[in-house]
Amino acid sequence: MSAEFEDVLLYAERPEWRDIVPVPQYQGVDALAPINYSPEYQDATDYFRGIIRTGETSERVLALTWDIIKMNPAHYSAWQYRYKTLVTLGEDLAAELHMMDDFAVANMKSYQVWHHRRLLLTALRSLDAARAELAFIARVLQADAKNYHTWSYRQWLLAHFNDDEAGWLWAGERSWVEDLLEKDVRNNSAWHHRFFVVWASGVRKGDEDREAVCRRELAFAKEKIALAPNNPSAWNYLRGVMEQTKTRLAELATFVQLYAVSGASAPPEVMDLDNPVPTEGAQLPSVNALEFLADIYEEEGGDKIPKAVEIWKSLANEHDPMRKKYWEYRIREALQTASA
Amino acid sequence: MAPARDLRPTPTDGYPTVTSCLQASTEQILLTHLPQSLQSGDPSQNVPVVLQRNLHLPYLLRNLRQGLPQQYTGQDASQAWLMYWTFQAFSCLGVGMDGKTKQKAREKVLAMQHGDGGFGGGPGQAPHLLATYAAVSALAIVGEPGPGGGWDDIDRKKMYDFFMSVKQPDGSFLVCHHGEVDVRGLYCLLAVATMLNLLTPELLEGVPEFIASCQTYEGGFGNASFPDWAFSNDGHDPTAPRPVLGEAHGGYTFCALGSWILLQPYIRTHYKSPSAVAPVIDRAPPTINLRSLLRWLTHMQGTGIELGGFKGRTNKLVDGCYSWWVGGCFPLVDALLGEGAPTTHDTVTPVENTQASTEDNEWHDIDDTLFNREALQEYVLFAGQHPAGGLRDKPPKIPDSYHTLYCLAGLSAAQHRVVPDQSRKDDLIQSWDAGAAQKIAVTAGSVDEQGRADILRRESFAEALCWLEDEGADKFVGGSANRVNATQPLFNLTVTHTGMIMAHFYQQKVPSRVPKATPKST
Repeated sequence: MSAEFEDVLLYAERPEWRDIVPVPQYQGVDALAPINYSPEYQDATDYFRGIIRTGETSERVLALTWDIIKMNPAHYSAWQYRYKTLVTLGEDLAAELHMMDDFAVANMKSYQVWHHRRLLLTALRSLDAARAELAFIARVLQADAKNYHTWSYRQWLLAHFNDDEAGWLWAGERSWVEDLLEKDVRNNSAWHHRFFVVWASGVRKGDEDREAVCRRELAFAKEKIALAPNNPSAWNYLRGVMEQTKTRLAELATFVQLYAVSGASAPPEVMDLDNPVPTEGAQLPSVNALEFLADIYEEEGGDKIPKAVEIWKSLANEHDPMRKKYWEYRIREALQTASA
Repeated sequence: MAPARDLRPTPTDGYPTVTSCLQASTEQILLTHLPQSLQSGDPSQNVPVVLQRNLHLPYLLRNLRQGLPQQYTGQDASQAWLMYWTFQAFSCLGVGMDGKTKQKAREKVLAMQHGDGGFGGGPGQAPHLLATYAAVSALAIVGEPGPGGGWDDIDRKKMYDFFMSVKQPDGSFLVCHHGEVDVRGLYCLLAVATMLNLLTPELLEGVPEFIASCQTYEGGFGNASFPDWAFSNDGHDPTAPRPVLGEAHGGYTFCALGSWILLQPYIRTHYKSPSAVAPVIDRAPPTINLRSLLRWLTHMQGTGIELGGFKGRTNKLVDGCYSWWVGGCFPLVDALLGEGAPTTHDTVTPVENTQASTEDNEWHDIDDTLFNREALQEYVLFAGQHPAGGLRDKPPKIPDSYHTLYCLAGLSAAQHRVVPDQSRKDDLIQSWDAGAAQKIAVTAGSVDEQGRADILRRESFAEALCWLEDEGADKFVGGSANRVNATQPLFNLTVTHTGMIMAHFYQQKVPSRVPKATPKST
């Protein structure tokens, strides 16, 4: 919250607000659990309630709502009223957006900060504004690379301004995500964004050959798994790709087996580009690999089921005992299906 | 001697990143909250594990009577929530309120009702779906029928109009005018509309498709899906891709899953299906992937070194509030898995045949809950409790009202099993009085529509109220002194409060219920 020292007068003390009747929050109610507001907040919100009564939209309302928002960024009614006022007065929405930049960085956990920007971008209907906003978001994510609302907003922005023809809004997304994963391969938000860009939001320019895209994405995920084989984000992505492309899990058997063994295996004599080997520090077996391997066996069915059961038992009893109940459920389910 | 616990640190594969470093330091802190005797597995020096009621109750009472410090200004728009969190925490702890306190509580909550329908986050604040859920839930606890009782002061007609005014073409709802769309708002709307008898086909149109579109490739749900493109002329295009916005997240997953269950009566009676008679919607209902959902939910439980608490997203830290948001999903997912799910209740499980080499007698356990209930209780008891009262995210954080409720509700979800009971549902349907429920309904329609609306009301009523506690399945870490009340999985209210408010708003006589019990041993 930024303090503004140049103006310390309460609204109740300002002559230019004399025409507004402040409205106290509770009238005739002895409120339980009252919040111990600062005098400034109490004063500003009393006047805000007064303004709501008159329905005024004016410059001074913009100043008032901004005051309240600075003291409480979660005051959604102040945001709502501010937006209505901006539109009514025909204010410069691009200027509003820039004025909110630093505030968004300082209050990135607030829903409203991002939703306000979404309203402004929607009204601006400008690809240039959208592109500038992508750069702004990238900057914000440097401070908190997993901030939920910021990511969700970026995905909305890309989809909303999807410029199929030119494709330049989306052009940098994949390499940007790669940079983020380079910094932290365990950033699940970045993995989700990659899935959004590559798979969930339609076909990007240059990505028309879906088989090639699938090969590229599998190679990418495998390479990241090799770096840190116990990273569930990368494994989940790999699973997502298999599901999305309806590929049989068994296609990855050779790769997965490298990560499901105990200890380091002897380095292969021939470099197999499709199946990168775990790095030296890898702590094997990876629980995620064991799970994946069991799923491969289950999918194959028949005489492979006992092999799957064997792995689930090892997960339940040794490698992942917290999820014992779940692994036992998987065993029951597979055996029931097999005997059905 | 019990085996030593699995306290292996999360493997970092010799490749540390920001995520793994934060994870490792959190694990170190959590480990210091696990009593020494439990670390070594030596039962001779058992320390008592106590739910500190005598600290949490004064913490809640202090907030209620003396008020909240200035840093709660950020929750000025969540005043209805502060009420609900506090009252439902009382319910969990089995504490009733005196008549005077209840009356003051009703007055405060009703001061937040908006002239245009729905409730705001505080008096004079704009109506908002989240605040409306919090206010109605708070009134379910402190209200009663009749003048001054709170329930009949709710303007349901206007509330319904408010709901319709924020409905979007893609089946989603804005949380308030000019507000955002997300599944929290939708869950809040559906929970309230179910409790207050406001469900109509008009309100629910397109909602199942919206929910289904919010599931991510990981199995959990994100906060919303993409609605419309900037440069199209007619707005929403139902054939366009509807990518989910935001990654799989515990809070959104609870809301999506709760919504999905609340929508089942509508889905069953309005879409094309083998069992549907004369469906209105000429297509099969959307589906969600239960298998990937269950996998994701179970994987949100932290390992032994994280004391079995839940996290809200892959590769994030455990947090006490997900004890409810994720822990509370299990009864819901169990209900959806339903009869097709393998059960260990009556049969000798085939697992035993393949298990001959171990001496693990837990295979005989009749508990078929799919997460580790004991571990979750330990997380709440060891890490969730603040030594000065109140519950929290994790040590060394301070407690707050939100975490106090959701830790207690999560503890409750881990202690009890509350499940839909078919014979209870049959009883409710048997005693259903269609005329009484229709009389209090907010919308009218043609005779044909009325018939369908009545079926929707009846099924929604019976399915919301058929959840009963399976008392044979209780488990209390630290003994029954740590028992908190069971909470109704769909609403996070007690089964009793849910029954009372719904009986009132559907004008039904709810048949008395017999506790469900399962034989304890096999």
